[in-house]
Amino acid sequence: MLQQAFNGLVGGAFYALLALGLSVIFGMLGVVNLAHGAFYMLGAFGAFIALDSFGLNFWVSLALVPVLLGVAGAVVERLFVRRLTPLDPLYNFLFTFGLALILQDLMKREYGVNSQPYPRPPELSGTADLGLFTYPAYQVFVLAVSALVCGAVWLVLTRTRIGMIVRAATERPELTRALGIDVGRWVTPVFGFGIALAAFAGVLAAPMRAVNPLMGADLIITVFAVVVIGGLGSVFGSVTAGFAVGLVSALGNLYVPALSQTLVFILMAAVLLWRPAGLFGREEAFR
Amino acid sequence: MILSRLARSGRGGIALLVIGIFAALVLPWLIYPPVAMDIACWALFAAALDLLLGFTGLLSFGHAAFWGGSAYCTGVIALHGGLPFPVAILGGAAFAALLALPIGYLSVRLTGIYFAMVTLAFAQMLFFAANQWRSVTGGENGLQGIPRELFGLDLSDPFFFYYAGLPFVLIGLFAAWRIVRSPFGRVLVSIRDNPARARALGYPVERYRLLAFVLSAALSGTAGGVFAVGHGFAALDGLYWTTSGQVVMMVILGGIGTLWGGIIGAALVVQLQDFLATAGFEGIGIVTGSIFIVIVLLFRRGIWGTARHLLTREGRGGGAGGEPAGSPEPARAPASPRPAAGPDGAAAGGRY
Amino acid sequence: MRITGWSGGLAAAALLLAGCGGGPGGGGGKISDGGIVLAVLNDQSGIYADTSGRGTVEAVKLAVEDYRAKYGDQAVAEKIDVVAADHQNKPEIANSKAQELYDRQHADVILDVPTSSAALAVATVAETKKKVFIDVGAATTELTGESCNKYTFHYGYNSYMLAHGTGSEVTKDGADSWYIVYPDYAFGQDMTETFSAAIEASGGTVVASDPTPFPNDNFSTFLLKAPGLDPKPKVLGTMHAGGDLINLVKQYNEYKLRDKGVDLALGLLALSDIHSLGPDALAGTRYTTMWVWSFDDQTRAWADRMRTKLGKRPTSNMAANYSAALQYLEAVQRAGTDNADEVVKQLEGRQIEDMFVRNGTIRAQDHLLVHDAYLAQVKPSSEVAEEWDYEKVVKTIPAAEAFPAQPDPACEL
Repeated sequence: MLQQAFNGLVGGAFYALLALGLSVIFGMLGVVNLAHGAFYMLGAFGAFIALDSFGLNFWVSLALVPVLLGVAGAVVERLFVRRLTPLDPLYNFLFTFGLALILQDLMKREYGVNSQPYPRPPELSGTADLGLFTYPAYQVFVLAVSALVCGAVWLVLTRTRIGMIVRAATERPELTRALGIDVGRWVTPVFGFGIALAAFAGVLAAPMRAVNPLMGADLIITVFAVVVIGGLGSVFGSVTAGFAVGLVSALGNLYVPALSQTLVFILMAAVLLWRPAGLFGREEAFR
Repeated sequence: MILSRLARSGRGGIALLVIGIFAALVLPWLIYPPVAMDIACWALFAAALDLLLGFTGLLSFGHAAFWGGSAYCTGVIALHGGLPFPVAILGGAAFAALLALPIGYLSVRLTGIYFAMVTLAFAQMLFFAANQWRSVTGGENGLQGIPRELFGLDLSDPFFFYYAGLPFVLIGLFAAWRIVRSPFGRVLVSIRDNPARARALGYPVERYRLLAFVLSAALSGTAGGVFAVGHGFAALDGLYWTTSGQVVMMVILGGIGTLWGGIIGAALVVQLQDFLATAGFEGIGIVTGSIFIVIVLLFRRGIWGTARHLLTREGRGGGAGGEPAGSPEPARAPASPRPAAGPDGAAAGGRY
Repeated sequence: MRITGWSGGLAAAALLLAGCGGGPGGGGGKISDGGIVLAVLNDQSGIYADTSGRGTVEAVKLAVEDYRAKYGDQAVAEKIDVVAADHQNKPEIANSKAQELYDRQHADVILDVPTSSAALAVATVAETKKKVFIDVGAATTELTGESCNKYTFHYGYNSYMLAHGTGSEVTKDGADSWYIVYPDYAFGQDMTETFSAAIEASGGTVVASDPTPFPNDNFSTFLLKAPGLDPKPKVLGTMHAGGDLINLVKQYNEYKLRDKGVDLALGLLALSDIHSLGPDALAGTRYTTMWVWSFDDQTRAWADRMRTKLGKRPTSNMAANYSAALQYLEAVQRAGTDNADEVVKQLEGRQIEDMFVRNGTIRAQDHLLVHDAYLAQVKPSSEVAEEWDYEKVVKTIPAAEAFPAQPDPACEL
């Protein structure tokens, strides 16, 4: 039971990282980024390519790939997303969907739809003793590192000046602008950062999940549900909801396997009907 | 230019209607009849969604529930009830409307992305329910062998079935057109543009939205029913979120809030899929994705919206219509989708 | 055969009552429309693109080459074309494309068609158009059951073969208690039913069986549950395919279930899956397959030819399509015509022996190809002689056991 709960949290770690990125982007730009899953997939492929073509190991990839893809994300924001943000959110919805299709099919053409091999890092191939039970070391690592990243993002947002500006811009964009703060300056880095988080999750996924062009598309709908449950634009909400949904689906698999596929959607519908802006969303951000 | 004059004058709508009906009638002579049937079905589905997206300002990301739900219901009635297919299609449409009642009741309190997500959630629940309920739906195998005959007349040739199914589509499109031109439709537009004002004027906003939702679902159900009979099966695919996504894309491609646009979008997407199936090009997503991006960056009004915009502008000597040529986009609207609606809300409801 | 264009449209309007559909071809001439057209309708862009896709088209072209080489001037069909279409895994596209292939491209046979909903939709088209359809890619037994028809054949494998072979052979080998996890849709459910029946018939027990979400990337719940079951199962049997299978195996290894005494047996494993995971991740795992490229000299020779075209070893699916195309052409040769009814007569009850099929018969009652299947095992990397050489055959499952002994009574041709 305890072990199952722990395993739910590991699954939730991926949701949390992806939801965090989505949420930050939505908060800052009001963009629903449908290409988020594609960048997660590119992160995993980045790790594979780094190993296969350049012989770079997992640790190098974990540091390097998110940075590279974050920069790529920033470029996309500069060239395209920026032109669409002042308009109806529907346009960016469509743009990012088109982008996701293209990225996915480019990888398909290059590598096919079959999964690519990626080994676990040798340092983490063993089993960790957690006192009450033992658990695969790599999964413990995934949980720890994603909790750390989420915590760090939280600290940055609440304790630093940059974080304050970003939060202010997210919650009250007009007011922030009126106070003489150049909100626009922060838009590109925040978008890039959100993409980097997705790529980070992708690299983490490579050793334990199938690396193929469709891996992001399968996941993204669930992640959207997670973000909506937590409250769009709420950083705390999406991380909490990420871990919670991971927990719920793991326990759902165990106790009500027939319902497990629908569980997250039932949860989302229930939450939205009870609290229209999500668990931790603010009514004002409700557009 | 004749077209521009047509588009401007009051008779333009009627002329276009005649052209449209004529095009619908000759379509299976020009392209392969099953593909023509698909275009007709998706066209009605797109128009039904546009009723909600373009004229009520609600983006449903779960309309697959009504298209696919009706497909199954139609199939069950025709297959197990042994009733002729028109009855089955009407039964399917009624089922879609019934389904829309609780879903709509719960969802219309929300707007924007939240409305989209909650409709998506309901559609996904239905998808998984259909997947589990194999005795009725056939699960992943689908509900196969829906008969296509009417009082002993065999309509299995898609060419003949096109004409048997077309009346449903045309009546459905006509209904959509009547709805948006009716006083009811105008209230919807005013709710879309400014819900607070509509509420202040005493309109029960939620009830209007719910009715629009149910009507849209019934029309989507009609389309789904014809589609199921036309292909002779109902499959899980029709309930999946990709179906909802596809119809939204069609409407945006054609132009939101134009009704005709959705039809053009449907024709384009269906034809493209058909073409790419034998083009030997492995990368359908690259083509469709690029088209979406080009549309969004360059032709934001959609195909029909852009064409209409250019025609009316040319007719009026340019620049007229209250829109400066340089920035033709409305800024982000408070109540979400109302992009290609045109210069003022009332006009959007008026000219087709 | 519909005429496009305006004048054609008007002229044809007069013929409306005469009906414009493509009825059964031939009648007068021996070969209709001046030649034979083999149409491959499959997934060239989605999840099955690598197991069949364009590679299958190449395999069918090889079959045409071999037919020509064998008969030379004696060949009934002088002109043979291979056309391909991508159904994008959408049953409605499969349905429309099948009609178009038969009507417009004058296809005499449609081959492959993965995804059971698509395959069943194409079977209906074959029945109404009275043209031959040989399915390879789909696994559903319904093609030769309730939805069977005179013009539809199922060639290669089905869910019964995959599940029955692994279930009974592994149980007989001593692993007699099972924990089964399966993807929660028709294929998985059918497989589990057959699997459980096979295990119990061989004297084993199924301790538990659980459906998993589909698609799914976290199987930890089930992997944690496995060793704790009472009694502890000796084998974990799975029915997953593609990305799900890769996820499951990666996580199986992470939980070190093999060390905990829970072996792994699979319903379905493609050569490309082993390549993705690396042979060591799967070493020792048993599964049932319809063909192994390294089986003997004949299969190796064919696999060599395919490698020059694809740059890698062919999958069993490609081999099955090669054989299906070849046997279709042989049937045309014997019949002396491409008339579908005559060709069906030649195929029904036919004994087949070729590069792919061993001890095969196309059963006349339900049009299922019954042939030898193989229980195979993944080699550890130390035994792998060359890239793609990952499989060894542990046991040949004779045709009579590999497929259901009696045709499904629901099938009426």
